[in-house]
Formats: sequence, C-alpha cells, structure tokens
Amino acid sequence: SVELSSTRTLGQPLSEFLMTLEDYTPTIPDAITCSYLASSGFEASDPRIVRLVSIAAQKFISDIVNDALQHCKMRGANTVQSSKNKAKDKRYVLTMEDLAPALAEYGIQIRKPPYYS
Amino acid sequence: MTTVVSEPVMPGVASRRKLLQASVSCLCSEAGFSAVDEISLETLTEMMQSFITELGHSSHLYCELSGRVEPVVGDVVMALVSMGVKHSSLESYAQRGRRLVLPTPTQAVA
Repeated sequence: SVELSSTRTLGQPLSEFLMTLEDYTPTIPDAITCSYLASSGFEASDPRIVRLVSIAAQKFISDIVNDALQHCKMRGANTVQSSKNKAKDKRYVLTMEDLAPALAEYGIQIRKPPYYS
Repeated sequence: MTTVVSEPVMPGVASRRKLLQASVSCLCSEAGFSAVDEISLETLTEMMQSFITELGHSSHLYCELSGRVEPVVGDVVMALVSMGVKHSSLESYAQRGRRLVLPTPTQAVA
C-alpha cells in the first residue's frame, strides 16, 4: 500500500500541473519542441504535453547553467579578491572552463573536438 | 544519449536549430550570464536537442508498450523517471519569476 500511495502522489499533482499549462508559454517555442519530438516518432496532439517536454528540457539546461555560474563566481572570487569596486558590475561569461566542471557533476565528460582549438 | 547520429539534410533543420540556440541563450541570460562563448553554446544546444529527442523517443516507446498511439502524460512521466529527472521540481521551475519567452516563429514564405 506504500507503493500505491506513492504512485498516487507522483501522478496526481503532475496531471494537475498539466492543466495549468493550458495557457503557459515556455522559452522554447512549441513548434520547435514539436518538430524535434516528431523526428523521434512522438506525435503529440496535446500542446500541454509538448510544453511539459519543453519545461523538462529547459530545467535540464538551466540546472547545468546555474552550476556553471556558481563555478564562474567561485573562480572570480579567488582571482579578483582585491578590486572590490569592480565586482559590483561584474559581467559573467560562460566558457568551457566553467561548463566542463558543471557537466562533470552530472557525469558528462566533455572533450575538445580534436581539430578545433 | 544521442539517438540521431546523422540527420539527412532537410529544409528547416538549420532554422529550428537556430531557434533552439536562441532558447539556450535565453536560459543563459536568465541565469545571469551576459555572454556565452561559441563552443559552450553549441554544447548546450546539442545537449538540449539530445534531451528532447531522447525524451520523445522514450515516451513514444512507453506509449507503444501500453498499446496506445497517442502519448499521454504518464508516458512522459515514465520517460522522465527513467532518464533520472525529478519531475516534482518541474512545477516550481515553470512558475519561476523573470522568465524570458521567445516570440512564436512565423512560417517562411517559400
């Protein structure tokens, strides 16, 4: 019965969440997600399911990018300790130097392509 | 994770890829980055494309496994679980403040 109640709590809120996606606009346009899904054999007639996929994909990328930002900030804190006034309007640039450790936390190893610098 | 190894050259591949790249850029600027270098953007775009394709493929298989043709939420949830994504956190993510939205792409006149 423990398993049954846990599956109910897994499924129930998500179908309610799906109802709220009726008039929700994800960052990725619906048409783009739809066409990638179609190329993998998934034909969704319900736009809410497409939006759910978009949100999942966005969260995947956002989590990684946020991790990379933390790496970037930490690296910045180590090197630019002295110039305090510059830190106020600091511009962060996402580079492989920060992205690689963030991805490594997710178990993804990134190697440079052999023929590009 | 990549299921599509070599895509046949089709019209629209480049443009949808460009829009996906724009979405990734939106997410980066949302996170607080002001610039992204080319290789990182390309890596993230590839990962996003791979994620959507994988999720679509997996959901499709779960859907067909239960003898249906049209995928339902349950299939997507099963696919998310098997990919190791915590779907309980999606709701709060969707309602996050300050989110950027791309304009709907318009059909190009041939």
